Amino acid sequence: MKKTEFYDLLMDTLEIESVDAVDESTDLTDLEEYDSLAVLSLIAMIDEHFSKRIPGTDFQKITTVQSLMDMIGAGSFES
Amino acid sequence: MNAVIQKIGVYLPETVLTNDALAREFEDWNSEKVEKRAGIRERHVAGENETALDLAEKACRDVLRDEDPESVDFVILCTQSPEYYLPTGACILQDRLGLSVRTGALDISLGCSGFVYGLALAKSFMASDTADRVLLVTSDVMTRHLHPRDRANRTIFGDGAAATLVGRSDREGILNFSLGTDGSGFRNLIVPNGGMRHRYDPDAPDIADGFGGTRTDNHLYMNGPEIFNFTIDAVPKTVADVLEKNEMTLEDVDYVIFHQANKYMVEYLRKKIGIPHEKFYLNMLYTGNTVSATIPIGLNDVMKQGIVKPGDTVLVSGFGVGYSWGATIIKI
Amino acid sequence: MNGACIRKIEVCLPRKVLDNVELESIYEGWSAEKIEKKTGIRSRHVAGAHETAVDLAYGAAKRLLDSLESRERNSVDFLLLCTQSPDYYLPPGSCMLQDRLGLPHSTGALDYNLGCSGFIYGLAMARGLIRSGTASSVLLITSETYTRHIHAMDRSNRTIFGDAAAATLVCASESDCILEFALGTDGSGYQNLIVPAGGLRKRYNPMAGTAEDPPGSLRTENDLYMNGPEVFNFTIEAVPEVIRQCMEKNRSALDQMDYVIFHQANKYMLNHLRKKMDIPEEKYYMHMLDVGNTVSATIPIALKDSLERGLVRPGNQVLLVGFGVGYSWGATVVKIKD
Repeated sequence: MKKTEFYDLLMDTLEIESVDAVDESTDLTDLEEYDSLAVLSLIAMIDEHFSKRIPGTDFQKITTVQSLMDMIGAGSFES
Repeated sequence: MNAVIQKIGVYLPETVLTNDALAREFEDWNSEKVEKRAGIRERHVAGENETALDLAEKACRDVLRDEDPESVDFVILCTQSPEYYLPTGACILQDRLGLSVRTGALDISLGCSGFVYGLALAKSFMASDTADRVLLVTSDVMTRHLHPRDRANRTIFGDGAAATLVGRSDREGILNFSLGTDGSGFRNLIVPNGGMRHRYDPDAPDIADGFGGTRTDNHLYMNGPEIFNFTIDAVPKTVADVLEKNEMTLEDVDYVIFHQANKYMVEYLRKKIGIPHEKFYLNMLYTGNTVSATIPIGLNDVMKQGIVKPGDTVLVSGFGVGYSWGATIIKI
Repeated sequence: MNGACIRKIEVCLPRKVLDNVELESIYEGWSAEKIEKKTGIRSRHVAGAHETAVDLAYGAAKRLLDSLESRERNSVDFLLLCTQSPDYYLPPGSCMLQDRLGLPHSTGALDYNLGCSGFIYGLAMARGLIRSGTASSVLLITSETYTRHIHAMDRSNRTIFGDAAAATLVCASESDCILEFALGTDGSGYQNLIVPAGGLRKRYNPMAGTAEDPPGSLRTENDLYMNGPEVFNFTIEAVPEVIRQCMEKNRSALDQMDYVIFHQANKYMLNHLRKKMDIPEEKYYMHMLDVGNTVSATIPIALKDSLERGLVRPGNQVLLVGFGVGYSWGATVVKIKD
């Protein structure tokens, strides 16, 4: 997936309205939309688009969009 | 020889906790957004002196209103908020309801899969001529296990009880089961203190949950992401398995009721499995997640509304704490 | 294959032992001999500080599974755990056991809460699950650590109760070896055998004050309370009646039973019931010398012992009766497989 596509997907998945756009440096935990239910939507999104499963406790380590992409796997993204 | 669901009674405690009330308690807590995503507007909360057994009794009185109590010869009470370590809640229920002393009674301890397992037991007692009419009661006061500052879980869980009468019939009303367990996930949905492993500790320190919420080891801990991971794997498999065991396909099923965990999770499972919208139950707006009571509450709702009609086949599936899961097919 | 049979029983007793000599040193004016003579108990096993009912259950189940050939071991598809001393409110201990025992994910598992009638109800569930085709091989575990519920200075209950787990394998079979059941409940006596605090009616209270009740024994609301006389009264009524019902359901009679095993409550009660029911001594199991009253584990422990000592033989019909806390009771007849 292209990174820009992924950013749009994130905006959509998390229903982000507090900022106009996200990129790899955006800290998700700073967003007011990021809560425990948001994490569930990330899991659903990763299952749907990447067919991957990330251990639940690893979500606590997520900060920036980049850290989320690292967790999904760098190979899944192209610039 | 065959078992059939005859009737369902429901009781929800009087006190209602609305999203607006939660929004007043917690900053940055958006009541509309919660309703949209969790699918919950309000949930019922047991009173200070109201236990799962009290709710169970009221649900039973509801279902037994026009019934001869002597016709019941087995009571199964499913709860994870027991009155005592001992005696058994179902025994106290026998006395409170004035059932015959020739009634069998036991408690089972299961969470969101409890109703499906309870049906399996009820059917088994009939298959073996141990009972003719089983009162299956699923009752929990999960809110008692929640920390007052645990906003995520206080948003999702509500208290409630359902009493289901399962009786004999010439036709098959409860078909084959798919059941499963994976205890490797036992730590992901747990109340760490309160049993014999670790005693309830009034001085247990606060623990931050990372999303602005707080709990202690006396309270429920839910690793939401891990539970979601588990359901994404387990539920499609158990649905496929129960269809196979009954030599059916999804098209043969008229309606599907899953444990109402939260809207987001349940809706995702629907899409993943490919169940059409109009055949799928999704309603926790006024109850929240009532653990083992969600499926009978849903079933009662669709039967009363005429969404499912006599003769329809309904696939039900429960999944959660343990991990434990199960599915079966019911003929109305 | 619609019948169900008891295939095998294994037991796990905690390592720690409490004998009468130790009790003698705790309780003034008691002699070890007198305790044994009065109760029929010389020693009992007591769970260690970090040993729970799930741990004991694991011990018994592991021993049982290890003794089976792989084909039979792999056929286990349901796990029932009976306990009133659960590890947690949630999750259920049976789910943890599925994982610890390495059973497949397709195993059904649940905990149920019953006391001294628990083994009988467990057999009823196991047989039903097999009859309905829901399961083909059920691992029924009754495991209890009542000593956890007993105050250190409650000499009457500490004398009687011991901890133990029994694992019983119930398998589908051509012939039915678990016959009909008579079950019953009378919750009006629920306060006569109770741990008042610790559930959600009343939380466990580490600061709870002690009371002397009955005389000579201390307890708090966190501890087991047994109204011995009331429980005895109930037993005298309920046990003969449930046996009558069970015989009626099985179209049999007490004198046609080859052997009788009651829940091993205490020697005094068992003696009285035997005489009242006119059961010949040689057909009646009474042995709790080195285990005490292990609640839902007494009947499988006794059945295993009777088989090993040749007190019951293949082809025998054995009447099993459990009764106690709740009140709850049940009886059934098992045929020993040829």
